[in-house]
This record gives sequence, structure tokens and C-alpha cells, in this order.
Amino acid sequence: MTTSTLLAVQLDTYLPVLLIFVMAAGFAVVNIVASHLIGPRKQAAVKGMPYESGMNPIEGARKRFNVRFYILAMTFLVFDVEIIFLYPWAVTFTQLGPRSPEGVLFLGRILFFIAMSVVAYVYAWKKGVFRWD
Amino acid sequence: MIESLSTLAAVGETPVLVQAAAGVLVILVMLHVILGGCAYAILLERKLSAWMQDRVGPNRVGPMGLLQPIADGLKFILKEEYTPPGVDKVLFMLAPALIMLPAMLGFVVIPWAGTLDLSTLPFGLGELIGGDGWKVNLIGADINIGVVFLLATASLGVYGVALGGWASNSKFSFLGGLRASAQMISYEIPMGLSLLAVILMAGSVTPYGILDAQRESGWFILQQPLAAILFYTCMLAESNRTPFDLAEAESELVGGYHTEYSSMRFAMFFLAEYFHMITGAAFFALLFLGGYSLNPVPFGWDLPAEGGLGLILVQWAVMLGKTGLMVAFGMAVRWTIPRFRFDQLMRLAWEGMIPLSLLVVLVTAIFVHLGLEPWMWLGSIGCVVIVYAVLPFMPRQSNPNRRIAMVGSRFNPLREGDALPPRPAVAISDAAIPDPRQGPASIH
Repeated sequence: MTTSTLLAVQLDTYLPVLLIFVMAAGFAVVNIVASHLIGPRKQAAVKGMPYESGMNPIEGARKRFNVRFYILAMTFLVFDVEIIFLYPWAVTFTQLGPRSPEGVLFLGRILFFIAMSVVAYVYAWKKGVFRWD
Repeated sequence: MIESLSTLAAVGETPVLVQAAAGVLVILVMLHVILGGCAYAILLERKLSAWMQDRVGPNRVGPMGLLQPIADGLKFILKEEYTPPGVDKVLFMLAPALIMLPAMLGFVVIPWAGTLDLSTLPFGLGELIGGDGWKVNLIGADINIGVVFLLATASLGVYGVALGGWASNSKFSFLGGLRASAQMISYEIPMGLSLLAVILMAGSVTPYGILDAQRESGWFILQQPLAAILFYTCMLAESNRTPFDLAEAESELVGGYHTEYSSMRFAMFFLAEYFHMITGAAFFALLFLGGYSLNPVPFGWDLPAEGGLGLILVQWAVMLGKTGLMVAFGMAVRWTIPRFRFDQLMRLAWEGMIPLSLLVVLVTAIFVHLGLEPWMWLGSIGCVVIVYAVLPFMPRQSNPNRRIAMVGSRFNPLREGDALPPRPAVAISDAAIPDPRQGPASIH
């Protein structure tokens, strides 16, 4: 197989995904536009206030927020990238025979890889990233 | 490489475009089935909660309230779509579409039935399009990354939530959006890891590869019960359902990230949640319940994987039945278990489920290496034993449910002039902990 046919084959299998993408976007847009056109519209001063249990809003809503969310997102990135690397490994690893020498090598490498991120994980745990109380 | 590509290019001798056409047909049918299913899942949820709380539930519109979803939908469209003046208009409009889009993308890689032999179609259709014994898989898109695609689209849902919360210019929305983002990314990790345990067992990421593996070794819920429990819990958390609906906790955050939304835009958030739920339940049925298979053990009779239209319809019914069962189970969980507190939610994910799922993956990898896959259920039990053996040696938190002294608190009142209670040891920043004499100042 040449590269161009390879690409064509893979793109063909993605055709239905493109279709559902267009349909989903269409569904969302049509629904929102329909209620935009059909529904009534009135403006009023109190109606325009952000909901704050009937009180007058105090300051704006978009304030600085706790840095914990940011640190948590960073920790998430470490793991998410790790998991992405684990999927191809898992498929290749299962195709090796049981107890094969290559299997030991594969297992050892991935154990080292996971251990690296576990170090980061334990550090974050000790630093209190996961404590929200 | 070449072997895997030949299976990718065609099913047997079937041209790729025939498979793609079948996929389009499956998508068109299933999209309507799931959208109808969403509407009736909402009715089912209301009925189930009513039965569990000894009420009657909706029963006015149509016989037994069966037309209620239509009335709800009409009302959503006829209501005013209000855009408060303070919002970020573009993002406010975009967020409902952005949450609906990934929710609807996921189901294309779920196989709803086995392989259909086109030449056995009735009414002369078989001779017309049957080709030389062409066979098609009853799946939306038989792409080679399979379940990874589903995981990727499921996690894209966080964009709609975060944008909706940010754009609304309301404190409730903002906090709800933040919480939901933190929750969804946290629970994605154990979800991905427990999925990895399944892929290690199946040796394939394509949906049909996983189904075939389950026909040989029995359903993975028997082989990997721990991974199944982890996965189902994460699935509930990903779709923001109780006990994980911190993002829209009515008692504290009103509606969470959709507080300021109305009309069809609000309905989009709601519909996306149910769409996520149905896709997630089908995903669970595919990974752990053998898809359209009827026999949970590796021996004995089972539905054949390939056949004519009758068999395909039976398989479809089996798959839909399993999906419906898992959806209903999620609803029963919702109306049984109370909501977590946010710190409990985060600790459950990061200090409980992530180490546990890492352990499951490691044990599975070792079992696969030793060629002991049929005994993986022992490994699953072993994981639980290891956890209980290690638990006494883990550092304990002082008292996660301690009562914080506050001015005027009924449980632990603090008067002016009292010494401050000792602050809990949090290493990030002590400034994050408010002075308790100032009252409950910080919400996050």
C-alpha cells in the first residue's frame, strides 16, 4: 500500500464522524435559533441583574479564584499525557507472548515510566494539592 | 502494521464505502433513538424518583404521563431566551452548542449489533446490494482508535461547562463552572486507567476487538470487577450526576454553570447530560457487559456474532436493553446516595480512585505478562486485599469532618476575644484559610 491509499482508507472510515459532527452542530444551532425566533423577548432593569438570590449583586462575578484549581489542572496534565502514552503500549504489550523476554523489557520500561509520574504524584500529595478543606 | 490495516480497510471483501454507508445509516437511526431515549430518560428519571419517594410522578400529559417529554420540549422552545446584559455574548451563545457537540459525537464508535450479512436481506435487497457476500459491521464509524475516540470526546464536554460558567457573569455560574471543570478532569484519570485495564485484557482498542475478546474470556465485569466499579463511578462523575453533581448543587449553587441560562440553551445543557449518560451506559455495556453478547461465561451457547437481519435485531435489542439497565441503575444511585462535599469529592478521586486504578493497571499488566488473563478476577480481589493491607500505614487526615469554629455557629461558637483555633496544616498557602472570626468568607 502506498501512503496515499493508506491515507484514503483511514479517511473513509472517518466519513461518518464528519457526518455526525455536522449533524450535531446543526442540531444545536437549529434548536437555539428556533427558540430565539419563537420565544418572547422583554428587557427590564431587575431582570437583567445576575441572579444572586434576589439581592443586589455585590461586585462582578469574574474575580480571582483559588490557585488550587490551577495546580490541580497541572497535575491532571501530567497524568493525562501519561495515559495517552499507555494506550499504544498496552496494545503492543498484549501482542507479545506470555513470559517472553521482550515482555519483561516492556513491563520494566513502563514501570519506570509510571514510577516517574508517581514521584510527581506523591510530591503533590505531600504538598497538599488534593486537600480542599 | 499491514495485517491490522487489511482488517481496517474492509470487512472481508466489503468495500470501505459500503461499510461507511452502513455506518451513516446506523448513525441516522441511533441518533434518533438516543434523542428519543434522552427525552424518555428524563421522564423515567422523574417516574423512578417518584416511585422511590412514594409519589406518583408526572401523570397528566397523555396516558401515564407518556407525552410529558413532548410537552416539556414544546415549553422549552416557547420560552423566552434571555441574555442578561452583563454576559460575554459570544461565549454565552457558544457554550450550549459546545456542550452538545461532544456529547453527540461519542456514540458513533459504539457497536450496536454484530456483523450483518448483506446478501441475506429480505425483499430482494440482498440480491441488489449483497455483492459477493458483503458484510457490514453495525457501528457508526469503525475507526481504528475506537474507544480512545470515545474517551476524547467525552472529556471535551468540559469546555462547554467552563465557558458557560465563565460567560454568565454570575457568581453561582462561575463557581459551578470551576467546580465542574476540576471534577471532570479529576475523574478522567481513573476512567482512562480503568479503560486501560480493559485494553490490556482485550489487546485491542477497536470496539469489535474488545467484544471478540469478551466472547472468548467471558464478560470483563467478571474478570475485572474492580475496574468495572471504578469505571462506572467515573462515568457518573463525568456526566455530573448525583452523588457527583457538585457543579449544580441546588442547595448551594442554585443551578451551577447554567444558572443564567433559559429556554432552549438551558435545555441543551440538560440534554447533553442525558446524552452523556446514555452514551456512557452503552460504553459500559461495551467494555464490561459484552455488548450484544448474552452469555457472561466463556463456555456454552451465545448469540452468533454474524448473521441475517433477524439476528441483528435481537443483538440490537440486547445492547439497548443493557444500556437501558445501566441508565436506570445510575438513576437509582442518584436517588439513593446523598451528594458529596467538594473536598470529599476531590479526595475520593485523587487519594482513592487514582492510586487504586494505577494498582489495577499494574496487576493486570503483570497477569497479562504471565499469561494468566483467565485468573484476573483473582487479581482484582488481590487489589482490594492490598488496599486494606496498606490502609493502616497510610497517613491519616486529622479529622476531615471536624467542626470549624465560626462566629455565631450553633455547633462550635467562637466569641470575640477567643484564641484562634489551630489552623490545619495545608502546605500550599496558609492565606487560603480564612480567619474564622470573619465568618464563612471564602467559598472555594
